[in-house]
This record gives sequence, C-alpha cells and structure tokens, in this order.
Amino acid sequence: MTSLTLRNLKKSFGSTEVIKGVDLQVHDGEFVVFVGPSGCGKSTLLRMIAGLEDITAGELYIGDRLVNEVQAAQRGVAMVFQSYALYPHLAVKDNMAFGLKVRKVPAEERERRVQDAAASLKLEALLGRYPRELSGGQRQRVAIGRAIVGNPQVFLFDEPLSNLDAELRVHMRSEIAALHKRLGNTMIYVTHDQIEAMTLADRIVVLREGRIEQVGSPRELYERPANLFVAQFIGSPRMNVLPAASVEKSLSARGLDIGSAEGVGMRPEHISVVEAGSGLLRGAVTLREYTGATTLLHVALEGGETALVVHNGQNMPEAGEDVGLEIAREHMHLFDSQGQAIRPLARAG
Amino acid sequence: MADTLTDKTSARPWRAPRLSLRRREAIEAWLFVSPTVAGFLVFFLGPLLAVMYFSLTEWNLLTQEATFVGVKNYVDALSVNPDFWHVLRNSFVFAIGLVPLNMTLALTLALALSRPFRGVVFFRTVFFAPVVTSAVAWAIVWRFLLQGEAGAVNQLLASVGIDGPNWLREPDWAMVAVIVTRVIKMVGLNMILYIAALQAIPRDYEAAARLEGASNWQIFRMVIWPLLAPTTLVIFVITMIGSFKVFDHIYLMTGGGPENGTLVLAFYIYEQGFKFFNVGYASALAMIMFVIVLVLTVIQMTLRRKDMR
Amino acid sequence: MTLTTRQARLVSRTCLIIALSVVAVPFVFPFLWMVSSGFKSATEIFGQPSLIPRVWRWQNYLELLEYQPFARQYFNSLYIAVAVTVLTLAISSLAGYALARMRFAGAGLLMLFLLSALMVPEEVTIIPNFFLIRSMGLMDTHAPLILLPVFGSHGVMATFLMRQYFLAIPKELEEAGRMDGLSRFGIWWRIALPMSRPALAAVSIITFLFSWNLFLEPLVFISSLEKFTLPLALSNFTDSYGLPLWHLQLAATSLAVVPILIVYLIAQRQIIESFALSGVKG
Repeated sequence: MTSLTLRNLKKSFGSTEVIKGVDLQVHDGEFVVFVGPSGCGKSTLLRMIAGLEDITAGELYIGDRLVNEVQAAQRGVAMVFQSYALYPHLAVKDNMAFGLKVRKVPAEERERRVQDAAASLKLEALLGRYPRELSGGQRQRVAIGRAIVGNPQVFLFDEPLSNLDAELRVHMRSEIAALHKRLGNTMIYVTHDQIEAMTLADRIVVLREGRIEQVGSPRELYERPANLFVAQFIGSPRMNVLPAASVEKSLSARGLDIGSAEGVGMRPEHISVVEAGSGLLRGAVTLREYTGATTLLHVALEGGETALVVHNGQNMPEAGEDVGLEIAREHMHLFDSQGQAIRPLARAG
Repeated sequence: MADTLTDKTSARPWRAPRLSLRRREAIEAWLFVSPTVAGFLVFFLGPLLAVMYFSLTEWNLLTQEATFVGVKNYVDALSVNPDFWHVLRNSFVFAIGLVPLNMTLALTLALALSRPFRGVVFFRTVFFAPVVTSAVAWAIVWRFLLQGEAGAVNQLLASVGIDGPNWLREPDWAMVAVIVTRVIKMVGLNMILYIAALQAIPRDYEAAARLEGASNWQIFRMVIWPLLAPTTLVIFVITMIGSFKVFDHIYLMTGGGPENGTLVLAFYIYEQGFKFFNVGYASALAMIMFVIVLVLTVIQMTLRRKDMR
Repeated sequence: MTLTTRQARLVSRTCLIIALSVVAVPFVFPFLWMVSSGFKSATEIFGQPSLIPRVWRWQNYLELLEYQPFARQYFNSLYIAVAVTVLTLAISSLAGYALARMRFAGAGLLMLFLLSALMVPEEVTIIPNFFLIRSMGLMDTHAPLILLPVFGSHGVMATFLMRQYFLAIPKELEEAGRMDGLSRFGIWWRIALPMSRPALAAVSIITFLFSWNLFLEPLVFISSLEKFTLPLALSNFTDSYGLPLWHLQLAATSLAVVPILIVYLIAQRQIIESFALSGVKG
C-alpha cells in the first residue's frame, strides 16, 4: 500500500522559491500526471519526490514514512529519465541489473528479474547490446525495464516521451498505460504535453509558477476548470475567452443572468455556426484552416475579438461571410475578475 | 514481492538524528578534495608563505639558524649585488628572443598543417616529437652538436663555406643557441594549440570572405588572426611564463655561462640557494620571480575579461 | 603558358612540402645524430662526421652500465613515473569530481587557490620544500620525486582537466546511479571514471612524461648514484676532468629517448591530443 502525501512542500534555489507550498495526496495505485508550462516546477517537484533535490520546507511521506532526509535509493521509488540515462559503458542487461547489483541481490535472482522484465517489455533480443546500438524507442523500453526490475513502490517518469518522434510517442504512451494496468503501482508522470496527461492520468495536477492550480480527473479539468489558466491550458485548440460585456445583452435577452462574471469561456469545439443575424454572437469569418476531419474557423466578432470555431464540415461558410455563433448554456464557463470559475450560469431571478 | 528499493532499517520508528542530505554532500565533497587540499597546504601554500618569510631572513650555514633582516635581501638584489640586474636582463632577453620566435613559427606551422593533405600527420608528428623528449636529453644532444670546431653544426656550415662561431663559448652566441634550441624543443606544443584553434574556426567565414574577393593574406589578417586572438593571448602568457622558469635546458647546455651570459633567473635561484646556500637571498629572488609570474597572469586575466565583453 | 587550377595546386603543394621538410631538419637531425653517435668510439666522434658509424661499437652500451648503475637508474625512473601517474589519476579525479559535481561551502575559494597554484613555477617553492623534505627525513629518497609532482602544479593541472571532463558527463546518468543506490564514491568509481577514459588517458600520458623528464627535483633531493633517475644519470657521464664522455652519454641518452619515441610514433595521435587538451583548458 503506497500512497504519497505532500504537505506544504517548498523548494528554494538560493533566494528564488520555485515550489511555493504544494499539498497533495496521491492514492495507492493511482496514475498521477503533473502538467504545466515550462518553468512551472513540475520536474523539480518530481525530483524532490525522487530524492534528487532536497526539500527546503514541508513534509513528504511515502506510505506513512517521512522521507525528507532519506536517500534517493532508499525511498522505494524508481525513475525513468527524459534522456533515459542509460550507462553507455554497460550492455542493456548490465544496465538493468546495475541497481540490483549495487543492492547486493544474489546473481540468480538478478538474472531472473532481468529476464522477467525483458520478457514483459520484449527486450530479450537486445540484452547483449550497448545503449548506443539501440533506437530511441528501444532505449526508452530499456529505461522502463531498469525501473521495473527493482520492484519499486512508486514509478516516477520525467517527460519520458519527449525525445521520441510523434508516431513512437503515441505507441509508447499506450505501452506505459498498459504497464500501469499490469503492475498496478503508483505512478507519477511529468509532461508538458496535455494530450499525454489526458490519456494517461487518473488524476491530473496542473501546476503554475510553483503552485497547484487544480487537481482532478481529465474529465473534471476539461468540463469544470477551476480557473482561467486551467481552462486555457487543457483542451486544444484553446478555449475562447470573451469579456462578459460582449455576450451579456444577448444572454439577458434569453433570461440568463451573467452575475458578477467578467469573462466567458467557450471551447471552440462547442460552438456551432448558425445563420448570420441569429445566435449568441455575430461576426465574420476571416480565415479557414482545413485540417481534414474538421475545419478551424477564425471569426472576427463585432466587439473586435477573434473566436476560434471547430467546424465539422456541414454548411461551410466562405471566408468573409457573416455568421452567427451559438453555444449551449452548459458549455459556457464563467470567470470572475480574479480568473476563478463561477458556476453555474443562473437563470435570472 | 521483495522490496529491494526500500531500506528496511531506516523504516524503523526511531532513528538517530541524521545529517541532512545537503550537509552530507558537503562532507563527502571535502573528503573527495582532502588529499588535494592537504597536499596543496603542505607542498604549496606552506612553502609559499615560508619563502616569503625566508626572503626576510639571513640563513647561517653553521648554526642552521635564520636571523630576521627585513628587506635587506631585496635591497641586495635590487641595488647592491651587480649580478641581479644582469640576470634579470638575461631572463628578459631570453623571453623576448624566445616568445616571438616560438609563436611566429608555431602559427606558421599551424597554418600549413591545419588542413589535411598527404603527409600532414607525418609533419605534425615530426614537429611535436621534441616536446615529448626530455629536456635533458635535448640539451645534451644539442650541446654535442654545437661544439666549437668538431660540432656537427659547424662542420655542416663549414661544408658550405661558413665559419661558425664557438656557439656555447661566446656569451651572445650562447644566448642565441639556447633560445633557438629551446624554440625547436617547445614550438610543437604551441603549434598544436594553434591547430586546434584554427580547426575550430567555421569554414564559412573564410568562404564568405573569399566570395567577397579577399586574398589569402587579407583573409588571414582580417578574419583568422582576430578570431585567434584569445588563443594567442593564452599561448603568449603560457610561453612567457615558461621562458621565465627555464632551468634544465640552460643548466645542461651552458651552465649559465659563458661569463654568466646565459645566467637566467631560475638558474640564479638554484645557484644561490643550493650551491652557495644564500637561502634568504635566493628566497627573495624566488619572490621576485613569483611577482613577475603573477603580473603576467593578472594581465592575461584582465585582457581576457575585456575580450569577453 | 598558364597553369590549370589543378596544376597550380600541385605546384603550391610541392613547394609547401619542400619548405616543411627543410624546417623539419633541426627537429629530426638531433635524434639521428644522437643514435648514430652512441655507436661511435670516443675518437670517431670527433673525426670526420658521418651519420653511419665506421665501426658499430655495441660495447658502448656495456661500458655505460659499468660506469654507473644505469639499469637501476632506468628502473627508478620507470617506477617513479608509474607511481606518480597512478597517484595523480586517483587524487586529481577525486578532487576534479567534487569540484565538477558536488556543492559544498568553500568550493569557489578552493578553485581560486588551486588556479593560483597552477601558475606558480616550482622554482619559487623549491627552497622551502627542500627544508620541508629534509625535516621529514626524506632527503635522498624517491618520496619527494613522487609527492611534489602529485601535489604540485602538475597535479592541479590534472585536477582541472578531470573537472572539465566530468562537467560534460550528463547529470542524469549520475542521478540514475543515485536512484540505483550508489554512494557518491560509487558514482565516481562506477559511472564517472568509466565514462572518462579519454581524460584519464590524457592525464596518464602527460603525467608519465612529466615525471619521466623531471630534472630540478632529482637534482635537489637525490645524491646517491643508485637512486638517480634517468635525467640525472644522463647528465652524469663525465670523465675525471668533468668533461662529457660523449660516446657513453649519447648511448645512454638514446636508451632513454628511443623507447619513448617509439611509443610516441605508435600513439602519436592520442599523445598529441592529450597535450592539446591540457593546454587548452588554461
């Protein structure tokens, strides 16, 4: 049973604070993804859990053991590095067995565990090779294999797919998901790629400037973002956010009260194109980007803003054509002046 | 499932207070550097402070005791003892003769050998060979070659009708001889440094200059030479310092003679300290050498900093 | 007649090779003359000069062994150079690793101190070191010939060279080692060192040659013949008037120089690169 508890965790490099107090509970067997723009502290937080960075303040528990001052190797965690960090002077087999050897695991058991891990990752044929003789995907698998052989309680992944090309990335993503299903261990995964986060995570932790913005399942984050930052970070293309004033009139005409909201968010995929003159918003198409299954429309609104619309191909408007835009009530996100979400959109009294 | 990643002992409820990871790293680091630090203190910093002190004392050979005499040794060197200025002059003549000759030759050879052609490895190997040879062996052989009439060099000169001087017995020629043979011994090192620097210059610069119609000389003068400036500065200082500490070469080729014509600072320190046991005076000379080297180093550092800006 | 580009290039290349060959004469000639003279008799040496001895006197080599314990002196140089090399490798790579990778109070100051030691010639500290070694009772032993190079400016140079190389090793590899349970020492020994073979080779080469060619220290510290090192022994072939016994001296010098030259010719690329590496770091 391996949960993780982070209590008001802080990290400073010199006088700059990079992790500004993080509280988080990771449940046993959960797949948690840390996501955020570069410099948000997600990697640092992972490295603090690994024991590669010391903890400036706060408490870190793995299971019920306080590990702030426990050496990395004694924390029961294994890490897959971004660059894989395979030892170039050791063959694949010795790379995987290295940690066991250091821990003085008997040779037969070492052998058995390496063989097991190699079999489960289809690495048997590569055991005698050196890292430089492997392709990117193979190296990635060896790095995972090395993490598996130690039977860690917690797996840590630091942007493990960012050095792979797009096709391989999709493939390895599914392999990692399968691995989690098979092993059932607690896993913490860092990425800046929101698709990776959405597809892999039980829960996503969105970080910005050393603080947690929101924690929740992928669906929660998508459907009920807690604030403007999360709303625009999750989802692609990103959410349109319009000043409340631009829709206030049309909404109240339908008997909806926008209340204290300052901004209204609408996901491009939730907006539909209707006849010019009708709909919640009016504007003119300025650009059409055909992407195959859908077309992305850039619509210049009357108020001067631009809205992105994902159009599925029916009744395609021409560039320059005036259109109306419509969106269902439940797909509108309201934000206050601080960028915090307000819910739900209330019927006017 | 065996839990190899968890240290069972540290999972016990009570632990002795342990060092923070940071503290631990610092202690380990000092353990790593401790042999170096100990050696540095005992064989460098200690002696450096000692030589400062020694330079203010006079050593009595019979009683083996040091008496404090203040700056007397420095006064002796700078104004009383006529040898000192002579020696310093020799050291500067040696350096001023050696450094430009060495650097010009090194750069010329490097320019010729920085591009691949058939034979380039052969020539690099040849020009570098004296560098790996012991200075003692080099000096012995050249002393043999440069003997008065019987020496191979003079016999070679005689065969084309030149009456060569007795190289190592005439003060001026002796200086020329030690400088030239030292340059041949050491030029390979600077040549290699210049070759490395030349090969690090992107070929595009030269190509661009050539497209604009620059001649070889213009390319060298306006593109290559400015880009080599940091290397030239380093080589200049290294060679300069090296020429001030030259000892074995002179000890074996001329023994400082003739008529002290090649008596340079390093040799003078050795002679005063270990032949005449003027420990205080020799220490003052060592301090003067220290200051000269220090000034050269500081000049290099300031120029380099300016260069970076 | 105008030359084609191809012909022009051929002409300039030929000129270049001729010029380089002329310059090469004083670099090669001393070695040839040294070897050949080592086989000449004391009288032939001053006779009509010829690169090939009239009579090959192999007995020069027997005579020089009788003149002083040359084999013993040769062995001294060899074992001292090996000892200096091994110790320098160990000590400089430990310190270089700490300076490259570990955070500790005083690291910056230590670097500055060591840098200053890099620049100061041995001649400056040789006098106090003489008294130090004497007070330690180590006069006329090989200890100072090992200790001074290891801890002197040469050792510092090796430390900086190793540091520079360690800095280029990806940090994640060492972190992987930490995750695998290696101590600091383990990371140094099992990851950093195996990955630094080129730097270790460079330090070995220049350190061995440095010790092999060392002259001032043996001159100051060693007095008995059987403790001499090669450079000292070579300078010691003189007759009762203090004049050099050329034929013996040159034969002995050949014995000291030729093996090094042979190794150099075999591994010239590696050796030249090692020197370039140690010079550029400054």
